Amino acid sequence: MSSRVVVLGVGLHPFGRHPDKSIGEMARVAGLAALKDAGVEYKDVQAGFCAHVNQGVGAGLRTFGQLGMTGIPVTNIELACASSSRAAMLSADAIANGLYDVVMVIGVEKMERGLLSGVGGKEFGYNDAMGINLMPAIYAMWAQRHMHLHGTKHEHFAKVSEKAHRNGALNPNAQYQKAISLEDVLTSRMIADPITLYECSPTTDGASAVILASEAVARKHTNAPVFLDTWVGGTPEYHRGEAEQAEGPNAVLAQKAYEAGGLGPEDVDVCQIHDAFSPGEVFLAEELGFCPEGEGGPFIWEGNTEIGGRIPINTDGGLLSRGHPIGATGGAMITELALQLRGDAGQRQVPDAKTALLHNAGIGGVNVMVLKR
Amino acid sequence: MSTESSVEKPAQRVAIKGASLRLGEGEEALEGCRCPDCGDTFYPPRTVCLSCYHEGLDRVALSRCGALHTFTIARMALPGAFVKAPYVIAQVQLPEGVIIPTVLDDVDPESVQIGMELEIVIEKAMSDAEGNDVMAFKFRPLKGGAA
Repeated sequence: MSSRVVVLGVGLHPFGRHPDKSIGEMARVAGLAALKDAGVEYKDVQAGFCAHVNQGVGAGLRTFGQLGMTGIPVTNIELACASSSRAAMLSADAIANGLYDVVMVIGVEKMERGLLSGVGGKEFGYNDAMGINLMPAIYAMWAQRHMHLHGTKHEHFAKVSEKAHRNGALNPNAQYQKAISLEDVLTSRMIADPITLYECSPTTDGASAVILASEAVARKHTNAPVFLDTWVGGTPEYHRGEAEQAEGPNAVLAQKAYEAGGLGPEDVDVCQIHDAFSPGEVFLAEELGFCPEGEGGPFIWEGNTEIGGRIPINTDGGLLSRGHPIGATGGAMITELALQLRGDAGQRQVPDAKTALLHNAGIGGVNVMVLKR
Repeated sequence: MSTESSVEKPAQRVAIKGASLRLGEGEEALEGCRCPDCGDTFYPPRTVCLSCYHEGLDRVALSRCGALHTFTIARMALPGAFVKAPYVIAQVQLPEGVIIPTVLDDVDPESVQIGMELEIVIEKAMSDAEGNDVMAFKFRPLKGGAA
């Protein structure tokens, strides 16, 4: 290992409904913003990763090609909802090992309205016939188990969404920039008990771009670098007699990240987690070590994860309010944490944030990162 | 005398894709795999043991009864699904330790509780192009079982 890795530039195309825009247009907006933010030119970028899930063949060319055609290697990366954080990890591996000095990640997605399904392929089978492939149902069944074991209440989960929308209202790039009440969340249409419509992340169109650089190159452009300090990725683990993990061993990966980064959960000032559905934040508050197992519900209910709380989570509105264009989400998480660590998060700013944790999960994989300034 | 090719084949019972069922002989059940080395059991069937990496597992009929591990009440049906909302999506833990994703039958969704005892129901879901009965499974509350 030779170099520390710096998050040199970040940029977003606003998240929302953009049916008339191509992925290339959205990627160009995010990419140009990130280049400007980094203070580098596209010709300085030595390699690219295009993270997307359903954008078809050649998405890398259709996105990076909007910024320039310099002949660099561009690779497409798919890890469901964790695609662009995985792309950033691969970039960081390359920079840390001295392969490149400047690498760009573009995450992009255009999505249909309605429920995500189709996990497991196209052939109609048992899960389709029985209606089992209902994404919210996966989180709903974890939530029911949590309620059964720990006495967690629906209100605890709903509070996550109320908080997320309050933060999203402060984020000009969020899909939903409107605060909603706890009552609004609880009384919105039930989808899969206990998850209501407002406890589901939306489908979203959008793009994110992140420029990562070696410390030596980054120091030429900034006096206050934000480091991507630690990154670990994983896949589901098998444990006899336990339900199959859909995404990955969150607590194991968090522990690895803490050990590698030389810190503990008590050192984290601001955090991004994967709240595809509201119960996610309750589970992750426990799995990332912010509160004891089983106490995630009351922990969130008491306001610990709000801006101004003990460990602010998803200050940009999270997947629930910022939106969740699946290939772009990890890059948006990195973007928010970079802004927070630089002190550039405006009304969402967590005072004096120095250390940040990121958790991004997809069907088939989880990534955990530590960012420091 | 009809030739062999013109003899009407009786309808066969076949498992729906994505489900592994032991059909026809004796009591019908889910069919999983058991590792001859370490004894771990899997559903759906697989070739390599996830506990000890033994290759080549034995096909076994799984228990017809289990307990509800967790569930949700789905309030909207997915396009193309045979079930009508509301319906209960469930994970059922069998005595072998395996957890089966399924749906519940014959139950008031509002009365479902984690831990309730369940039994399998294997029934025809549809016919295929060859006229076979395509079989699927659900679980329902065990008659006389503890709620």
